[in-house]
Amino acid sequence: MSESKFETVSSLVDSYQANDDILNEIVKDNHLSATWQRYHLIGDVMRDEVESTLNIDLSAEIASAIADEPTVLAPIAKTSFTETVKAKVIQFAKPFGQMAIAASAAGLMVMSVQQNVADNEILTPNQIVQTNPLGGIAEPVSLNFQQNTQLSQKQALIQQQRRFQALLQDHNQQIKFTAVSNDVAEVKKEAEEKVK
Amino acid sequence: MKLLAYTILLVSMSLPVIADEADKSTEIKSAESWLNQLSQSLNTLNFSTSFVVVKNNHAEPYHWFHGMDEKGNQLEILSLLNGPRRDVLRKGNVVSYIEPELPPYSIIANHLKGPIPNILRGDISLLSKAYNFNLVGKSRILGRSAQLIRIVSKENNRYGYWLWLDQKTGLLLKLAIVTKKGQLLEQIQFTHLEITESASLTLTQLQTTELPKTLEIPKGYQQQSLSWQVNWLPEGFERINANRHKINATQQKVEFMLFSDGLVDVSVYINPSAEQRAVDFVMDGATVALNQAINGFEISVVGKIPSKTAKRIADSVALLPRPKP
Repeated sequence: MSESKFETVSSLVDSYQANDDILNEIVKDNHLSATWQRYHLIGDVMRDEVESTLNIDLSAEIASAIADEPTVLAPIAKTSFTETVKAKVIQFAKPFGQMAIAASAAGLMVMSVQQNVADNEILTPNQIVQTNPLGGIAEPVSLNFQQNTQLSQKQALIQQQRRFQALLQDHNQQIKFTAVSNDVAEVKKEAEEKVK
Repeated sequence: MKLLAYTILLVSMSLPVIADEADKSTEIKSAESWLNQLSQSLNTLNFSTSFVVVKNNHAEPYHWFHGMDEKGNQLEILSLLNGPRRDVLRKGNVVSYIEPELPPYSIIANHLKGPIPNILRGDISLLSKAYNFNLVGKSRILGRSAQLIRIVSKENNRYGYWLWLDQKTGLLLKLAIVTKKGQLLEQIQFTHLEITESASLTLTQLQTTELPKTLEIPKGYQQQSLSWQVNWLPEGFERINANRHKINATQQKVEFMLFSDGLVDVSVYINPSAEQRAVDFVMDGATVALNQAINGFEISVVGKIPSKTAKRIADSVALLPRPKP
């Protein structure tokens, strides 16, 4: 590309007259038309007429970059795929995590809830707390169970679970209250030892 | 399980050589002196620690601050980190419980009631009647060199407690409740331990906090005379409470006795019942709750004891002959 052609473009930008041949040449030649665009931009910048945000058309560069680098883009696409999968797994796992936390904190509260869920397997012990009849002594209850409908069996079981839950809770509560007299006993013992 | 036990045994046998080089003074220490050091450390050190209670399929994480104020009073905060708030605060001999079941209250006590047995902070020799203390091996727990001590029942009616203590400070690093056959039922694993020179900022804040109102427990309330007795209990259990109350969750009126051997608490409940129900029980970690209704009475037993022991206790409950007016 000769230097003179750029000079021509430059003089065109500066509003000098030119013949149609030169204009046609500039329009046909990509490089020259780009130069035309660039010179105008330079002029705008020098005259301080540029908008604060430059609207340079990048579509052509991006299009060519994509055309040039198909192999580089492919792995990028792959990683973004796994990321979305991960995100989904997290979303999916989160409610379960929360449930697990609730389960651990609520402790025995869960067993009555689980009882409701375990519809048909009423006599299957659940995972949180196992209900086992002590070997060989369970006869009277199981006889009763056979006579009852499934619904009342279920109710009896829920009631039993509630009873156990209440007992465990009360046991812990009583221990807290008893700490008082327990300490009194300890103090007494200390006093006795001092006397000895 | 057995395999694991053997592995631990093997590892612990190979470790002492290294550990002894690090701290020669611990070589002659007996299991009792280890436990005494634990008690001492739990009562005097300033520490901030986290632990997880693992039982059945769930884990409960706790945070625990302990420290001393200028006057030598103990300050403590124990918080359950998951689910509804459960906090225990302690300033000297005032212990406050903040729980979802009841409005906040304080009681006068020298210990707070948490997952760690209180006797570990008290006089361990009280247990020597019913338990043996065994010095086992050394292993690595929480990134520290630890000494394993087993508190083993002298008979078959109780569980064993395995304690891993920090070689340096004697503090608890891990606790496991194990059956006689070696089956693990419940464990407390510490996940973080920080020992500091002075009490942490949280505890100094507690100093200025006003605690909830102190609950007055009337004199004699916990030593009421009830018209029944428990005829059989494992050696070393003593009655520490006997009262009549309503169970909070069910509003059931019960007569109640609490027994303790120092390490384990066992509750016995009795109330009249028209039902007939054969014995049934649930396990929450190492805690068993057993319930049966025979001959017009419902009897329940709750505590960290094997179900067979609970059944035997329940069967030994007998009504006292009523004195005729």
